[in-house]
Amino acid sequence: MTVAAEAAAAALAAADGEEAEAVALAELSGLARFAASEVHQPTLIENVVVTLRIVRHGKVGLAVTNKVDDGGLASLVQRARAAADSAVAEPTFPGLAEPADLPDADGYDEATAAQSPEDQARQAAAAIDAAEGLDAYGFYTSGVTELAVRSSTGVDTRQAVTDATALVLAAGEGISGYAEQSAWRAADVDPASVAREAAAKAERTRDARELEPGAYRAVLEPYAIAELLGYFAYDSFGALGLLEQRSYLAGRLGERIADEKVTIVDDALDPRNLPKRFDFEGSPKQRVGLIEDGVARDVVWDRTTAAQAGNGHATTGHAPPAMMRDYGPLPFALALAPGEAGSVEELAELVGDGIYVTRLHYLNIVHPREGVITGMTRDGTFRIRDGKVAEPLVNLRFTVSVPQVLEDVPGLTSYTQLVNASDFYGERYPYGALVPAISTARFNITGSGSKPGI
Amino acid sequence: MARVRELCETAVEAALAAGASYADARAVLRRSQSVRTKNGRVEDVNDVESEGIGVRVLVGGAWGFACDRRLEDTGAREAAGRAAAFARAAPGGHDRALAPVEAHSGSYRTPVERDPFDVSLADKVELCLRASAALEHADVKVAQASVRAQREHKTLVSSEGTAVEQELVETGAGIDAIAAGDGVFQMRSYPSAHVGSSSQAGWEYVEGLALEREAPRVAEQAAALLRADTCPAGVTTVVIDSEQMALQVHESVGHPTELDRVYGTEASYAGTSFLKPGDLDSLRYGSELMNITADATTPGGLGTFAFDDEGVPAARAPIVEAGVLRGFLTSRETAARIGAGGGGSMRADGWSRMPLVRMTNLHLEPGAGTLEELISEVDDGVYLESNKSWSIDDKRLNFQFGTQIAWEIKRGKLGRMLRDATYTGITPVFWGSLEALGGRDSWEMVGLTNCGKGQPGQGAHVSHGAPPARFRNVQIGVKA
Repeated sequence: MTVAAEAAAAALAAADGEEAEAVALAELSGLARFAASEVHQPTLIENVVVTLRIVRHGKVGLAVTNKVDDGGLASLVQRARAAADSAVAEPTFPGLAEPADLPDADGYDEATAAQSPEDQARQAAAAIDAAEGLDAYGFYTSGVTELAVRSSTGVDTRQAVTDATALVLAAGEGISGYAEQSAWRAADVDPASVAREAAAKAERTRDARELEPGAYRAVLEPYAIAELLGYFAYDSFGALGLLEQRSYLAGRLGERIADEKVTIVDDALDPRNLPKRFDFEGSPKQRVGLIEDGVARDVVWDRTTAAQAGNGHATTGHAPPAMMRDYGPLPFALALAPGEAGSVEELAELVGDGIYVTRLHYLNIVHPREGVITGMTRDGTFRIRDGKVAEPLVNLRFTVSVPQVLEDVPGLTSYTQLVNASDFYGERYPYGALVPAISTARFNITGSGSKPGI
Repeated sequence: MARVRELCETAVEAALAAGASYADARAVLRRSQSVRTKNGRVEDVNDVESEGIGVRVLVGGAWGFACDRRLEDTGAREAAGRAAAFARAAPGGHDRALAPVEAHSGSYRTPVERDPFDVSLADKVELCLRASAALEHADVKVAQASVRAQREHKTLVSSEGTAVEQELVETGAGIDAIAAGDGVFQMRSYPSAHVGSSSQAGWEYVEGLALEREAPRVAEQAAALLRADTCPAGVTTVVIDSEQMALQVHESVGHPTELDRVYGTEASYAGTSFLKPGDLDSLRYGSELMNITADATTPGGLGTFAFDDEGVPAARAPIVEAGVLRGFLTSRETAARIGAGGGGSMRADGWSRMPLVRMTNLHLEPGAGTLEELISEVDDGVYLESNKSWSIDDKRLNFQFGTQIAWEIKRGKLGRMLRDATYTGITPVFWGSLEALGGRDSWEMVGLTNCGKGQPGQGAHVSHGAPPARFRNVQIGVKA
């Protein structure tokens, strides 16, 4: 796929004579969504979106289009110029990025890119067929995404990546279980295996009981800890949150804020994640240590926040898409380092008495500065008694301080799993978190909700 | 736009030729502008356009959907062919019926006094800079303002003879003051949290918000929250303002009454519903004061249209009457399945997504009296204002909300300001504790632009009108 590269080049050519940057994102994808074991929301998408940033006398304007013919690009340039002329010069604007050597990171698989709608439907069917008598809800998707950046300062780069995800919620009367797999090689995703895992989990959720609110020791499966860290990252692992004092890490860099077993990095170069070589300004991706051995080390930066900080910071290659700039730079490749436990059963032994959580639902940030997040558990919540996973529980409301969850971590599994973090809103930009299962000495339950099942 | 209509007709014909028993094609041309300023800086000035065609088909009872960004003959035909092929590849047997709808032709345009695209970007920047300057305060670390405008032209043609064109125009604006100090972080917003409020209206809506006038109060409250006491924990009487009630309606009534969720088709992502099809006309949702209406005709509502994305004419219908469930939000497919209604709530996010059951404008109808009267009747309680956080379980039963600001109520009067307020409950229990509503004069409508659903994800814009409301025996002050 070279659609994005061609679109970025054409857009920059149309803006000839301007100080300009063209970022193009192209997508070719299919998603076969199913419910009650029947495909009901199958979606094929083919699109390319070009974002043109023009700088005139220090003033920055931005226009976006998916019309990449001559007329569409001429309009794009005219609208970006008008936007720039309407802005006010910003002294801390760092200018457009200069060309830089980029690291190697291969996240493209030809076989995945070649998957047809029929292939995607077949993979959905494999999941449905393997749900072992239960109704299957979820999707199979695969796609190819190409990001290209070209600028009048000489940046000229592109990367095509692939991704595939199978997600299954298996459910029957009063029971439900969940599983998913993601990878940049579709061959590494086995929808039938995902469905079997979800179905097996569901069968254990029958006759779920309520639980008294309180602080419990807990085991969080990779699906759960990935989502919890993802929400914490919005405010706490990005430079804008740090500068605006939303981040829990503000004023705490260099301090111990978590168990020494906890190391969290952002590493888009890790081939086990969904690898990327550069960000949405064309700056090289870097591995950034966020929490190392329990000590708060850094956040991720882009060129804008580095310039605003004004104290020697430089971009770490985390500029977000233009339409997400109000969030500031974000970690799109979180990784929690594994531990030594051989299985989640070993983690349950470490917990002794507590709860076991498969996945979370509808998280929201209650108090960003304290890292407090609320949400529900779902599709596989159990009591842990005497070091064993015991009876099922209803979905539980939790309200936790993420730093408290990470403060005392009895153990983590020695293996990690890539958990998809994209819900595929807007343009496709696949990203995920590479995490183990984790145990914690404190997971605060504040209420009970619905029973398993749909 | 005759050319676009012809393209939609071409797509539908191509889909039928490819074996579809039903097909519709929707061409969407969307343009939006937004401006955002922060601490005197212009953070963002952008002008975004997107266009394309989406084709939905039924082949052998299975749905297929494909889209193409090229608004030309080739794009229309290829999208139709891909949609039919994807439907044909769907595993298993399928048997889908659609509730009948009369074929319609016509057009609709949002009435506007001043087209927001006639207002220059420079004027939009100037308005934001003035508003954020008015937020200046020693304790306010981030003062931000934003405005947005959107025009969406969509053409729908179906194989059953419907051919409608609509142009929907939205404007919106908001300001936020963020105070921080001594490890405390607090925010106040106007006219509502989460990028302000929007309306289907012209620039007159933004002018009417008077951002600059409201900014000093917003900044003062953000600063005062730094020194306010934390909201205590307990079970008490709460009075909730219109803005927070809008989100309460959205989460605990709007989503659970979406009939696709009731049937489980959203189970793998946003969740399902505690409601069952058989609950219609029998389930007690709340107290007798509770009346909820779905109204796709509300002037200014973000869910207002002449026809939904299946060509069903806009309507106003009761969802809850005197506390009893009286209706669901439906598509033609779900309406046929339950045997009631005829759809009318289907909307897609642009041209590249398949329509889903979405809220239109869902309102909590007013009662009588004023906010002051609601408060004056409380001996000991809390008044909650402006959303800060929200979460609800997959069946829409257990919810927890946080608000930006609160005040204690003592002997019928507002007392000290409180920060970090939260409240939690179970949907029908909470609505059953509704004991008073503000009157028509206190009823306000909020336009939300961040409602998510579907896989791949889709955003929707919806409005909710609500008066302030009073509930008894509510758990407040949830702690981590």
